[in-house]
Amino acid sequence: MSSTPASSGPAAMPKTKGAGLSDRWFSVLLIAPAMLITLIFAILPLAQALDVTFRMGDLSRGKIGDYVGLENYRVVFADSAFWQAGWVTLKFTVVAVGLQMILGVGIAFLLHGATFAKGLTRSLLILPLATSAAVTGLFWRYLYDTQFGVMNWVLGSLGLPEPNWLGDYTIALWSVVLFDIWQWTPFVALIALAGLQALPKEPFEAAELDGASRWRILTTLTFPLLKPVLFLVLVLRTIDCVRLYDAVAVLTRGGPGTATETMTFYLYRTGLKLFRMDYASTMAVFFLYVMLVAAVFALTPLLKQFTDRAKEA
Amino acid sequence: MQRKTSVIIEILRYGTIFLVLGFFVFPIFWMVLTSFKPEGAIMVSPPQFFFTPTLENYAHALFDKNFLFYIKNTLIISVISTAIVVAFGSLAAYSFARYNVGDGHILFFILSTKMMPAIAVILPYFLIFRDVGKTAIGKSLHLGLDQHGALIVSYVMFNLPFAIWLLVSFFLDIPRSLEHSARLDGLSRIQVLRKVTFPLAAPGIAVTAVFTLIFCWNEFLFAYILTRKMASTVTVGVESFFTLQGILWGPVAAAATISVAPMLIFVLVMQRYMVRGLTFGAVRG
Repeated sequence: MSSTPASSGPAAMPKTKGAGLSDRWFSVLLIAPAMLITLIFAILPLAQALDVTFRMGDLSRGKIGDYVGLENYRVVFADSAFWQAGWVTLKFTVVAVGLQMILGVGIAFLLHGATFAKGLTRSLLILPLATSAAVTGLFWRYLYDTQFGVMNWVLGSLGLPEPNWLGDYTIALWSVVLFDIWQWTPFVALIALAGLQALPKEPFEAAELDGASRWRILTTLTFPLLKPVLFLVLVLRTIDCVRLYDAVAVLTRGGPGTATETMTFYLYRTGLKLFRMDYASTMAVFFLYVMLVAAVFALTPLLKQFTDRAKEA
Repeated sequence: MQRKTSVIIEILRYGTIFLVLGFFVFPIFWMVLTSFKPEGAIMVSPPQFFFTPTLENYAHALFDKNFLFYIKNTLIISVISTAIVVAFGSLAAYSFARYNVGDGHILFFILSTKMMPAIAVILPYFLIFRDVGKTAIGKSLHLGLDQHGALIVSYVMFNLPFAIWLLVSFFLDIPRSLEHSARLDGLSRIQVLRKVTFPLAAPGIAVTAVFTLIFCWNEFLFAYILTRKMASTVTVGVESFFTLQGILWGPVAAAATISVAPMLIFVLVMQRYMVRGLTFGAVRG
């Protein structure tokens, strides 16, 4: 800690006479408002959710009721709709994140070599990120319209089959994926591009002097150096896709049938449509647990980077 | 020969860039275009690119559907949430960046709440605000369901972690030596913060504010679940264009354009900082 007298090197703040608070108390005071809010509004709801998972909680019949032990967990894990929703979420996440990574990195390479209208291309690419999925997602229904939509007009003009984007249960999930690709591929592209531009020049020059092939440079230099950035993007996108809600809510409402019912949407339906708070909370707690495990993997490198800099500076 | 192939490659490159940008820009372009279309040019096949522009969709959205009401709600909620997030977030972030308070553990805890799926806590939030809204304090602070306070509290909670992380990255960029010399000149810690650190961090704080504002403005789930009518925001307001006859695409496009436009402008202005903001300060764009 920089507050201990032992480390009074460049890390410690110089002390002034008569300063009432120690560094330690000062630093704690600074985080107090934020901590208080986080503790109250993160821990309290979570504690409440956890509590409900052990009780009867059918709000359509009244209040949260008696304790039933692990009964809710048994019911949820035996519920085929829960696993079905998990399967839909998995399919969505793997395909959407996979395609976004491939397309995004491809676009980054494409833009990295381009010198013309750099600012403009970047500005245009950012636009989907600024829009709300709930608003643009709704408008995409018009693009997907089987009769008046642009999508099918383009496909029809090219002589290709015209799918029923949101109505056909074999296709609907991929239509949501396409929307997510539209909104989030620019995110991957922009960050990969920033990573590419931050790469050190020297190793590449040395490799070229040695006569290394382009492919070899790409696989032994570029990608290994980009790995930390790409890993971060991958994790952030995965977390967002697993908890996808907005796009499903406005594009398909989980339908047709339950073809696009993701975990979050199923959770929403049991909790706020059927008012089964007990099952919904049990799923939420399970879901949260999975996300926290993912968060540990995602955040540890990032955290280390920050704390190292906070200590050294 | 070498020259010829490189020209072909460049043509291919820019051609592909053009197609890629077309894909990402077209839906927004089409939305704006549709918002100016007369009714007869919307539900037609093939889609119309040329028509006599009209403002009737905007008139419908603003006057018949009272869309300004949603804009007003969104503005109140987003601006107040952002102010609180930036105020509390800056103090906390400074503490993390300079004093390494909690040695990473508290910082980790705070960011981990950002990874929490909103849907996992939405049910407790719903119950808590329902009950708090009936108490005297809850009433005076408008914390009940369908009231501004409930959404503000939710947005503060869900944006604080992100704001703190982003701000930590900005504070780490400010050299400590400046604060040291100010301290040696006899300024107290609070004075150093006010007169040296915060002015230097102003650009970073502004970026964080704009990001928080965009997230609040675009938020859907909390607004959808915690409000019914009185405190509904634009993202929920757009949904109200579903009618029994179907969706009125003209007015939807107009309302969507109005609600998306401010954020598009913000993002264009701070294009340079987008990457940094979206990666929690980990990658500098």
